[in-house]
Amino acid sequence: MGYENVLVEIDAPIATVTLNRPKVLNALSPDLIRELTAALADLDADETVRAVVLTGGPKVFAAGADIGDMADRSAVEQLSRDQTGRWISLAGFSKPLIAAVNGYALGGGCEVMLMCDLVVAGETARLGQPEINLGIIPGAGGTQRWPRTAGKYAAMEVMLSGAPVTAERAYELGIVNKVVPAEMTIEVAKRLARQLAEKPPLAVRMAKEAVLKAFESPLSEGLASERKSFYFLFASEDQKEGMHAFLEKRKGVFKGR
Amino acid sequence: MATEVEQHVSVENESGIGWIRFNRPEKMNAIGALTRKQLAESIKQAERDDAVRVVVLTGSGRAFSSGADVTEMVQGAGMRTPEDVGNVLRNEYMPMLMRLRTMPKPVIAAMNGPAVGIGASFALACDIRIGTPESYILEAFVNIGLAPDGGVSWLLPRLAGTGVAYEMFFTGKPLSAADAHRLGVINRIVPAERLEEEVRDLANQLVAQPRQALAGAKRSVNHALVSSYEDAMEFESYLQEAQAASSEFAEGVQAFLARRLAKK
Repeated sequence: MGYENVLVEIDAPIATVTLNRPKVLNALSPDLIRELTAALADLDADETVRAVVLTGGPKVFAAGADIGDMADRSAVEQLSRDQTGRWISLAGFSKPLIAAVNGYALGGGCEVMLMCDLVVAGETARLGQPEINLGIIPGAGGTQRWPRTAGKYAAMEVMLSGAPVTAERAYELGIVNKVVPAEMTIEVAKRLARQLAEKPPLAVRMAKEAVLKAFESPLSEGLASERKSFYFLFASEDQKEGMHAFLEKRKGVFKGR
Repeated sequence: MATEVEQHVSVENESGIGWIRFNRPEKMNAIGALTRKQLAESIKQAERDDAVRVVVLTGSGRAFSSGADVTEMVQGAGMRTPEDVGNVLRNEYMPMLMRLRTMPKPVIAAMNGPAVGIGASFALACDIRIGTPESYILEAFVNIGLAPDGGVSWLLPRLAGTGVAYEMFFTGKPLSAADAHRLGVINRIVPAERLEEEVRDLANQLVAQPRQALAGAKRSVNHALVSSYEDAMEFESYLQEAQAASSEFAEGVQAFLARRLAKK
């Protein structure tokens, strides 16, 4: 896996993917997006990996797309490149994906964060959608995922003003799980990943799918789907192990079977 | 046009201490547009300069600062609309006061005299205050028909208690040095002629302290002030982990065990 724009570090059962264009604040170039989605596809297929941390490193998460690359593009060119459409594979990642965010997560960077399942933010984190200032709007889910998470009014403020919110404000809005000292962000996210990696993988996957389903479907459909997954898990070895371990007052060991 | 720009704020860096001084003694260090510009630059510079490990904010002459230059507010080119008043607070004072409170180094107010209005806001935004018997804090807003600004609605209730803060806001009467000291708003009162020396002594002590540990204390307090007890303890515990991995801690422990002073 020779990537230039992302670093992949596997320390089973977790993996860490670091956006690695620090000189340009991890601007999301087409190459970076291609590499990131490819790296995540590999990690999704790797059974030894059970949770993944996505970070931009100690200073910045990602300050959005490469504006220099986009400034003079036509609508048709933009459509045919379908830069934003490629993100679909990220949202479809089946294992827990934890964003570790320090500094700016702006524009596309913020939208990548919003596709993660949990967010650990350093106290220096600043989240926002400044697209409006450039005469465009978010194009990789920002207008849809902000209101689903932080509600209409916070989403409108972020979207229409273009001004970023602080880590603390983001915590109040429920858009990050935890605010920690910036030098600990990645470490805390990794610990969280290791905790989740000990959980039964099939149940984790079903739980993640079920929660994401809540944003996609009417309640009745979500409940029906939840019930099916619930029954399905009774066909797993991990369910037997989990329940017996509970009754025997020991810690379950899960195999994803 | 005058070629020489007046120095409303003077800056002097002295062995790790960055002295920022209001320098309009003839106007009791009133803060006008030029003062704000120079003060903003001085504070920014003090934060950036790694050689500055402790910042001292003080005034020259008899006052710390008499607050906004009111004559400038209502006369001539500096005349302000109500919206201008708000914009100066939001766009100029807020960033300066935030910077004092969040910069990763201690900031001491050497209160050589009265701190009034926005001048009091600057004194109260510092981490530590040392005063003289002539120091007092006056929230004079009500005396000219205004409500408190410059962050004192947040700071003063925390520092002095809500009752004292309200009394000051409602009456426009000063909080004396003695009362401010009794309430813990001013850390200590020293004779006027000894103020600089006392502040320098304290600043020198802080210059000799582990830099990151002090920055950590400031980060923790700032975080705690906007979070729950539980969140504050969690934040502390992670910050302590980072600090426990530092060379400052390694050296501090070694020195403690060897019964010697820690090296900087």
